[in-house]
Amino acid sequence: MFESLAIGFSAFGDPMVWFALVFGALAGYLIGAIPGLGPSLGVALLIPFTYGMDPVVSIVGLVALYAAAEYGGAITAILINSPGTAAAVATSWDGYPLTQQGRAGEALTVSILSSGAGIFVSTLLLVITAVPLSEFALRFGPGEYFALALVGLSLVAGLSDGSPLKGTVAMGIGLALATIGLDVQTGTPRFTMGNPEFFEGLPLVPVLLGLYALSEVLFMIEDGPSEKLKSTPIGGLLALPVKAILGLKTAILRSSVLGYAIGVIPGAGASIASFVSYAVSKRLSKTPEKFGKGSLEGVASSEAANNSAVAGALAPLLALGIPGSPTTAIMIGALMVQGIQPGPLLFTKSPEIPYTVFVSLWIGVPIMVLIGLAGARIWARVANIPRPAIAAIVAGICYVGAYASHTTMFPVHVMTAFGVLGYILRKLEIPLAPIILALVLGEMMETNFRRALISNKGEWDIFYTSPMTVILILIAILAFALPGLSQLRARRAKAAAL
Amino acid sequence: MTISNLKKLMLSVSCAATLALGLAQGAAAEDWAPDGPVEFVLHTKPGGGVDVYTRTLAKELEPLIGQKVVVVNAPGGGGATQMAKVRAAKPDGLTLGVNTVTHFTGMLTNLRGTFSPDDFEWIALSQIDPILFFVAKDSELNSITDLVDLAKANGGEVNIGGFGPVGSMQNIGMTMLEEAAGVKFNWVAFESTPDIIASVLGGHVDIGVSNLGPALEFFEADRLKGLGVLGEKRLGTLPDMQTFGEQGYDVDTNWLQVRGVFGPKGMPLELQQQIADAIHKAMATESYQTYARASGVEDSDFGPVEYSEFVKNLTTLAEQQLTAAGLISN
Repeated sequence: MFESLAIGFSAFGDPMVWFALVFGALAGYLIGAIPGLGPSLGVALLIPFTYGMDPVVSIVGLVALYAAAEYGGAITAILINSPGTAAAVATSWDGYPLTQQGRAGEALTVSILSSGAGIFVSTLLLVITAVPLSEFALRFGPGEYFALALVGLSLVAGLSDGSPLKGTVAMGIGLALATIGLDVQTGTPRFTMGNPEFFEGLPLVPVLLGLYALSEVLFMIEDGPSEKLKSTPIGGLLALPVKAILGLKTAILRSSVLGYAIGVIPGAGASIASFVSYAVSKRLSKTPEKFGKGSLEGVASSEAANNSAVAGALAPLLALGIPGSPTTAIMIGALMVQGIQPGPLLFTKSPEIPYTVFVSLWIGVPIMVLIGLAGARIWARVANIPRPAIAAIVAGICYVGAYASHTTMFPVHVMTAFGVLGYILRKLEIPLAPIILALVLGEMMETNFRRALISNKGEWDIFYTSPMTVILILIAILAFALPGLSQLRARRAKAAAL
Repeated sequence: MTISNLKKLMLSVSCAATLALGLAQGAAAEDWAPDGPVEFVLHTKPGGGVDVYTRTLAKELEPLIGQKVVVVNAPGGGGATQMAKVRAAKPDGLTLGVNTVTHFTGMLTNLRGTFSPDDFEWIALSQIDPILFFVAKDSELNSITDLVDLAKANGGEVNIGGFGPVGSMQNIGMTMLEEAAGVKFNWVAFESTPDIIASVLGGHVDIGVSNLGPALEFFEADRLKGLGVLGEKRLGTLPDMQTFGEQGYDVDTNWLQVRGVFGPKGMPLELQQQIADAIHKAMATESYQTYARASGVEDSDFGPVEYSEFVKNLTTLAEQQLTAAGLISN
């Protein structure tokens, strides 16, 4: 393995590889920061530029862009509550409250350092476990996928403190919305109102932009111009909050491992990784009450996990030629244009590709962190912009971002509708997180539930004969029931004390 | 980037420009010479098979026609977004679309009444790509006959994983085999080919359906085993795998996946022919050929007349199959 890693390092003797790395990281950082773009579109946009390049140069550029774009999503999530990707939604839960407390700079610094640490740790795991873990992931059948989605959904209970009822209502809304589109098994249109634009379901990015960002704009308009956020200045480039980071090391390490493991499973991507890691961190935290109100631990968990999922998603791509995420699926196209067909023989036929990817992820970490830290200094000032201007800018970003996602007006209308819906729901104090969670997981859950039954002659035993499925379903039940039980216990303890 | 690299890049860019200019000026009257950039509108997101095909073709087409070729991804509505864009365009050859069999099955089912093959001109057929049935290496099945025997013994309880819902191109391929063999299989729908391969490797479905390209590496790595190919003749890259016909199953071998180019209605036949010629010329270049052979597809040289005829036959065949499956009624 060390010899092969040496091949990877030797690729960096070529200045073009360095150029690709830095360019990819910069481009990814900016693309990720624009809601509506994001990693998969960024990689797709870069592909035409890679035609004339050497395969190694092109894959280094694409991987750097992928990793940096997955981070870039955190910037707008923290600053203006507009997660551009589903994977950055969990980052906004604590990142935006931190901005409102004037701690945007701190949140951005923690987010970039956690992302960097996440990539570093997960790449180490990738080098060691890519092949065996990808082979293991093949054992994930429809039953296991269904159970995994159920685990994701059970997090709703932990994410909606205060009112489990409202959380469940929100989850129901999300699940109902997830049924829109062509039935995956039979092709029957469901709730499409005869409009083909609904055939492929609700587009996720416009829904995200509407629910979070546009509804926020409506609140800003309502609050009027009086309120101005104060922001605490954040020292020089190297004045890192060392103490804060050291305090987060357990959460970062745990989220990195979790994020990587979830990323390896094809179909379960960065968003599920960040949701799960966030929920786990909240459960194990010494200060769970701060989560959702501006916890640095929350930001760190979500960001370490969604960046680790990048390395995770690369594992089945490099080991087997099976993409672990939509972005890696696009990378297959990029490699094919270069005449390299990713498959189970990649490590033997073109070892320079996987090993250069490993090395470039490591070398890319300090570059990405430097870009991120420098950027944080600039971005943090966004909080100083007067509110009416922010509202106008965010509204503009919402509309451009929605249009850019499909280059038609349909997603723009969807975004507007969900902006209004988001405003109403927030007025009713119905949490938005379960809606997004259910929308992301609903289709995965339904498809695999039906696929499991169809491939098992309609017999239900597929859900309780596989140990992995049983364990996942038990975890889901516990995760759903525990918050309620502990609430009950707390109430009893209170009663006893009286 | 070093200075010498930069120079090389600049040099190659200027060379390409000169070449393109030269070709455009030297173009004979009968060659396609559009007076503006040409848009290829796709029904898929970037990165998939259709996208790679179009971008590879576009790169070779640009120097031939002396214009930029822009690839526009317009996913959504099962092709509706793309077809709406193409139908609304001027028939001047500057807006073209790339189609697969999905367009025809779509226009017969969900998009029936919204779009019809008569709304467009079918300009050139570029690739044909037969479907094949495969199993994991350690499977007991070795041929289509084994598969049919198993289905007979099990009363149809054999799971076949393929792309798209009931009524999709690959699903119709399966029902055609069902008819020929007098058995029933169990269709498990997937949304991407890598998912199908992963499910076969993991033992979650018995049989997988795919075109050759995405599965090729797995055959080479000896992880998959082919049962049969739905085509006129065997595949050059997998010469040991028999066709359905060779194994005694009479299935219409015109049921092929295709990639073709279409445009808005009312385009002069002469222009269509010029576009088709340019496309087939671009396909003859070395880099396109390298890509096409690696993707496991076969080339077609059908121009507008042959392709329109082909589309008519394909649509009739699809209509029969969809009617027989009870998915549409006439």
